[in-house]
Amino acid sequence: MMRKASPKQRRGRQTAIAYLVSAPSLILISLIVVFPILYTGYISLTNMNTYHWFDFEIIGLRNYERAVLVFDSGFLSALLMTVLWTGVNMALQLVIAFLIANLLNIRHLPLRNVYKTVLMFPWAMPGYVSILLWKIGMFNSQFGLLTQWMEALSGLTVRWLQNDLSAFLCCTVVNLWLALPFMIMIMDGGLKSIDRSYYESAILDGATPLQQAVSITLPCLKPIIGPSVMITLFTTFKQFDVIYLMTQQVGSQTGAHIHTIITYAYENAFIANNYGYSSAISIMIFVLLIVFAQLTNRRTREVNA
Amino acid sequence: MRKFVCALMAFSLLLLAGCSGNQTNQAGQSGPVTITVWHDKEDAIIAVLEEALKALEPNIHVVFEKKTGMTESLKLVGNDRNTAPDMYLFAHDKIGVYAEMGILTPITELLGDDALAGYVPLTVKGVTYKEHVYQVPLYFETLLFMYNKKYMAHSDIPSTTEELYAYMQRKTKYGHYGFVEQHSTPYYAAGWIHGFGGSLITNTGVPCLDSSQVKATLAYHKKFVDYMPGETEYATVNTLFIEGMAHTTIAGPWFIPTVREAGIDVGIAPMPVVDETGLPLAPYSGIQGLHVLKVKIQQNKDSIIKVLEVLMKPEVSVALAKVSGCAPAVESCYTLEEVISDPLIMAMKQTAEIAIPMPNIPEMDVMWTVTGNLLTNVNMSGQDVDTAASNAQKKALELIEAMK
Repeated sequence: MMRKASPKQRRGRQTAIAYLVSAPSLILISLIVVFPILYTGYISLTNMNTYHWFDFEIIGLRNYERAVLVFDSGFLSALLMTVLWTGVNMALQLVIAFLIANLLNIRHLPLRNVYKTVLMFPWAMPGYVSILLWKIGMFNSQFGLLTQWMEALSGLTVRWLQNDLSAFLCCTVVNLWLALPFMIMIMDGGLKSIDRSYYESAILDGATPLQQAVSITLPCLKPIIGPSVMITLFTTFKQFDVIYLMTQQVGSQTGAHIHTIITYAYENAFIANNYGYSSAISIMIFVLLIVFAQLTNRRTREVNA
Repeated sequence: MRKFVCALMAFSLLLLAGCSGNQTNQAGQSGPVTITVWHDKEDAIIAVLEEALKALEPNIHVVFEKKTGMTESLKLVGNDRNTAPDMYLFAHDKIGVYAEMGILTPITELLGDDALAGYVPLTVKGVTYKEHVYQVPLYFETLLFMYNKKYMAHSDIPSTTEELYAYMQRKTKYGHYGFVEQHSTPYYAAGWIHGFGGSLITNTGVPCLDSSQVKATLAYHKKFVDYMPGETEYATVNTLFIEGMAHTTIAGPWFIPTVREAGIDVGIAPMPVVDETGLPLAPYSGIQGLHVLKVKIQQNKDSIIKVLEVLMKPEVSVALAKVSGCAPAVESCYTLEEVISDPLIMAMKQTAEIAIPMPNIPEMDVMWTVTGNLLTNVNMSGQDVDTAASNAQKKALELIEAMK
């Protein structure tokens, strides 16, 4: 006669089965995410560079000592710029996506699916292509559409990407164009999941559309869009492509000096072909992002509580 | 059954006999040898090479693989016997990096010390790093002074930079530009710096961005920039020229087919001479050729040598020149009528007399970015030349130090 398993044993068996079932995904995640981080950490402790490419040795924390020097005043201003860039982009993304998602959810809206397809279009295009299209097709001082419109309207030739402020705004526009489809899609899904009876009750109680948005839509959306906001926040924080390709690409620099921490680190370390040193900087930025993530998570938990 | 076994053995012997004519490589494997060459070139160039290498079939089969991001791929797998190619076809400027990494074999170890005896001196200089020769040059390219014959008469061709400036002042109006170039790109600006007797970096890897020659160049060149459009990256400059909005430009030979296709009657003229120094603008030159990876030598040495020997023939250089518009690296080609009669190739040969090979030292890797920033700061952000040059020099030194 078989002995009946105790609750503790059953729990243990269930845990083992859960790990067994998740094993393929865990292995995949380890290979794709964890291994590169660990390997970068390992390389950061070596002298791997052009002169020691295959015969590199462990040199301890020396790369970190040197990397700290990169965190100079230039790095601090890049960090401030990154925070500003992230804040402005996130605020605009959330507001614009919220408005567009609400418009898409107007009852009996004709051609709703056409609008959605068009709005998703930037997401389907490779980022590199989109950025260069904006740079040359819209902002170029000779052939850009915006430049030509400005010339036709005011007779002025505007060099959109030449000074820091206008370059920052142009980069923000491009980033919004690239990032909005994702946020709109998430918010659209979120709005659809809100029970319509809440609104019906609110209308019966005499609530205005603004009151409905503030008291029903936003609180209901918050937990749904939370993870997407976190993902977008980090993508924006470590943004490289938009700023680099728009203003700093070798051979087509525009004169603007807007640096995020990633473009700053790239220009001050990565081009030196010193993988040990670059890895140390990458790990330091990684730690910075982890700290930022923890702070944001804590703040989110406090707000939700 | 016995008859069947005998027939099978006889068939096997016949098969083996049939294979006996095939080459045996150094690793002891019999059969045809496959040589892999990575490249980033146009199809027309590769077709010429493939045609020439048909002579080695079937014993040696050469596969050309087009790679995007080849320079980074070589860093990753250049020492991996299973993944690395036998050779790669690329410009010479990465030789120092790969030689220091230890993935390249000097070609003199394969072909002898006088392997490049009959080559244009500029090409030999360009492919030599620390007294070792690391490339078999196929062709070379330099920037050329091009003009639109519709707008610029022969008598207007500027022989000096001041004449060019006067032409720009006269013609830059109503959406037209007298002269455009990628003024804030180091590859293009180097010609002006050389024209002032300066350089971006010494042969020993010391940056020269705060030298008096570089500063004089930046200060002088700024007045030309004022008569050029705001952005002068590759796309803008080329579009202005092929749309007939720019009368003259400095560009590479790769631009010529596009220009001709656009119906522009293009002329090539010698580089203007800097009035102050009496030196012509001396552009950088890129030498395209084959580099051999060390990791494959043990396995395929004989086959690699045979491939190189075929591609070193002057007729291959001439065929390449015809399809690429670039200049042959083999000196004897310049006695052939088909080369002499090509004004573009001869213009490049003439420029080769003054051109300077791109530095192939590893330190140059950081100079492209730092010099680009310096040029942008002076030309587009209006920074003071002395301050910008001093900052750039400091940054270049820091980054070069960070390489080690």
